[in-house]
Amino acid sequence: MKIDHSQPLEYGTHQNQMNILGFWIFLGAEIMLFGTLFASYFTLENGVGNGPSGAEIFEITPVLMETIILLTSSFTIGLATHAMRINNKKATLAFLAITLVLGLSFLSVEVYEFIHYYHVGATLQTSGFTAILLTTLGTHGAHVTFGLFWGFFILLQIKKRGFTPETTNKSFIFSLYWHFLDVVWIFIFSFIYLKGMM
Amino acid sequence: MEFFERFAIPHPSPLIYASMVAIGLTLIAIVIGITYFNKWGYLWREWLTTVDHKRIGIMYMISALLMLFRGGADAVMMRLQTAVPDNAFLDAQHYNEVFTTHGVVMIFFMAMAFVIGLMNFVVPLQIGARDVAFPRLNAISFWLYFAGAMLFNISFVIGGSPDAGWTNYFPLAGTDFSESVGVNYYMWSLQISGIGTLMTGINFIVTILKMRAPGMKLMKMPMFTWSALITNVIIVFAFPVLTIALLMGTFDRQFGTHFFASTNGGMDMLWANLFWVWGHPEVYILILPAFGIYSEIIATFSQRNLYGYKSMVGSMVIISFLSFLVWVHHFFTMGHGALVNGIFSITTMAIAVPTGIKIFNWLLTMWKGKIRFTVPMLYSLGFIPLFTIGGVTGVMLAIASADYQYHNTMFLVAHFHNVIIPGVVFAMLAGLTYWWPKMFGFMLNERIGKWGFWFLSIGFVFAFFPMYITGLDGQARRMYTYSEATGFGPLNMLSFFGAGLMAIAFALIVYNVYYSFRHSPRNVGMDPWNARSLEWATQNPVPEYNFAVTPVVNSSEAFWDSKKNGHQLFKDKITKIHMPNNSGMPIILAGFFFIFGFSFVFSIWIGVIVSALGILGTMAYRSFENDHGRYISEEEIKETEKEYGGAK
Amino acid sequence: MKELFPAKQVIGFVFSLILTAVALTVYFLDMSFEMGITILLVTAFIQAALQLVFFMHAGESEDKKAIYTNVYYGIAIALVTVFGTLLTLIWGYM
Repeated sequence: MKIDHSQPLEYGTHQNQMNILGFWIFLGAEIMLFGTLFASYFTLENGVGNGPSGAEIFEITPVLMETIILLTSSFTIGLATHAMRINNKKATLAFLAITLVLGLSFLSVEVYEFIHYYHVGATLQTSGFTAILLTTLGTHGAHVTFGLFWGFFILLQIKKRGFTPETTNKSFIFSLYWHFLDVVWIFIFSFIYLKGMM
Repeated sequence: MEFFERFAIPHPSPLIYASMVAIGLTLIAIVIGITYFNKWGYLWREWLTTVDHKRIGIMYMISALLMLFRGGADAVMMRLQTAVPDNAFLDAQHYNEVFTTHGVVMIFFMAMAFVIGLMNFVVPLQIGARDVAFPRLNAISFWLYFAGAMLFNISFVIGGSPDAGWTNYFPLAGTDFSESVGVNYYMWSLQISGIGTLMTGINFIVTILKMRAPGMKLMKMPMFTWSALITNVIIVFAFPVLTIALLMGTFDRQFGTHFFASTNGGMDMLWANLFWVWGHPEVYILILPAFGIYSEIIATFSQRNLYGYKSMVGSMVIISFLSFLVWVHHFFTMGHGALVNGIFSITTMAIAVPTGIKIFNWLLTMWKGKIRFTVPMLYSLGFIPLFTIGGVTGVMLAIASADYQYHNTMFLVAHFHNVIIPGVVFAMLAGLTYWWPKMFGFMLNERIGKWGFWFLSIGFVFAFFPMYITGLDGQARRMYTYSEATGFGPLNMLSFFGAGLMAIAFALIVYNVYYSFRHSPRNVGMDPWNARSLEWATQNPVPEYNFAVTPVVNSSEAFWDSKKNGHQLFKDKITKIHMPNNSGMPIILAGFFFIFGFSFVFSIWIGVIVSALGILGTMAYRSFENDHGRYISEEEIKETEKEYGGAK
Repeated sequence: MKELFPAKQVIGFVFSLILTAVALTVYFLDMSFEMGITILLVTAFIQAALQLVFFMHAGESEDKKAIYTNVYYGIAIALVTVFGTLLTLIWGYM
């Protein structure tokens, strides 16, 4: 494999460049995936049937916690990429680990939130609105969960193999994924929660 | 025993029992045959684990042809059932199952697979690449498609077929009206093969953007590659919509949610809406590669360069965007106001314009050309008038107010078969014939091929044109029978006659493969058609590394230039070539997906959990794997090239 | 230590917190629906652009044209889908 050292290592081979471009295109598909969920959400938003509406069940505190946690994790994964570029393995691993811990905290709060919905009688089966709400949140949450495993594997690989064209490439792509999940959350935060509580 | 009762067929008939026996016997015969000829090792090493785009392409096309016969059998059964009034060959339930599987199999597992198979085989060759950008992912795409197709096809012998139409509208597709697991099969087989298709989309966009031969700028790509690029862009942005719609449908059926229910705040129309947000771009996913194939073939056999290259590309770019703006025309009659129907009526008519531009470009390419009437060219020539008729009836359907008359009648059925058969099926057969020597190193027999073309075209006209008339007279689609008083009888009989001719055509096409395999000469050389684009600049059949030396290109017809204008394609010396390793991981992953889908269909949660862990475990294994591929040595390449009759 | 916290990242983070705070005004202050939704639209899209440029380095490689085209195309089609769906299923009946 030819490695081009004039660029960051994650772009260093032709295959690496293709991997990154390919992942961006995958994110394009993800935009559409969440776009479809939002389209369905806005359509079914007022379809509350006999169940509660968003304004009745949303709570600002957990939502705000989730938002701050995820924004911070997006910051730390950015720092991990930066540390990788200045060839600081220890800092990269540390920031990656912090990101994953933050991701786990996000999920914990989300689980709490789901339990809360269950207790106030908003389950998947309650109404069109609760179904699309929980599906949209759940799809995002499933992405985060998947990311936790993925990020953990990458952490192990960097630890064991150091910075190679493969590990840096994977790590960079993982950071793209993580930032993207943050972007999706911003839209969930704005157009599901805040719009619902307005 | 209770556990096994769920696998029983809800509406059994002698026909289904006979199919069960036939499927069982065929499987046993295949297993015995492979074992007897001791081919398991060969099959595993050379095909099942391959990451070679050419072999994956061929496997796609073989699967597509199998599905064509499955879907074709359904079609003949439908035409037979409606050939005479009050026929009792199939009952209502079986007729529902037959038209549903016909639609799903033909669109998802035949047409899509054929299109993707041809792209797989041709695109890397046309751009002078060694393989696609992500060869392993490509194999995963194929096996996911295959797992989905097989899952769908076992439905009619285990648990019952889906019966809510290929559009699967709710609430009909909900558990209230479709009680069997049939629609679950629909959801999961399409979900699994859809994931594969999405991965193909990403793979080919990156391949085309990043792996073109030196000198091949975007505007110097062959037209089929352009059409593949645009198609894959549409795939990437359309398929996630289907993913979500299928997920919601699954939840409604298996977890009791109310997305598409008419109670508790659900909205049944949301399914139709999402289905067509994906479904209309899907139409263009099928037809654009066909346009690309016709562009190659018409230029080659008119012996002229393609007229209006830029307008061809421009119209495809416009189509890629407009195709996402027209979906509501599939349900004009749903009851929204004039404003909505007006908007989508106009966008629909607008999309006819770029398509029309392409028709004129093909005509002008042939103008003053020296046309050779080969089989691929005959299909292309048949395509232009027949497809134009289909397009014109499409514009008729686009008039929202008039659509109230056409909607859900045989007129519509005639229209979309009129665009899909001369559009997609003709293109696939033309492309298959055209690139056949590239795949296998011999030509298909022209005489039998022409017989096949004429049977297919005439059969098509007899089968579908009568439907325009019965449709306007009020014959509804998807009705399993009609009374004699309607007067639809004679025209439907004509339709059945046409279907018979088409069946003969496909039999001829298969016979042609057999005949040519036995009798065609093997020394066809590199360029049997006197073609123009880059894929003909390498040997037939193509060696695994595609090009011994990476070609250098300076136009969209690089090969033609090298023949006529002295352009030098191959400047470098032969050096060792880097190739990806084969892998058994894709087929294992797809196997887990198959078990996952099957278990989910029957709500066997233990199977779902185990196979989900299998899927994730396979992916984790892949994450830790270190695979840097292998090199083909210089000597080996020279040896291979010599066998073909000397290095270039 | 300082080299681990580049200004670009830190500024991006601070901005994202500020934008979140601005978005929160729709919850804490009393305002009309139109006003609120405008604020949310503005903050959400700026926030997304911020992530894209500051954190995701969308414009740093030779494929930047393809990447931006891809993202814009995705956003455009997603917006068409959202508003088209609303037009068809909700507003079209009013």
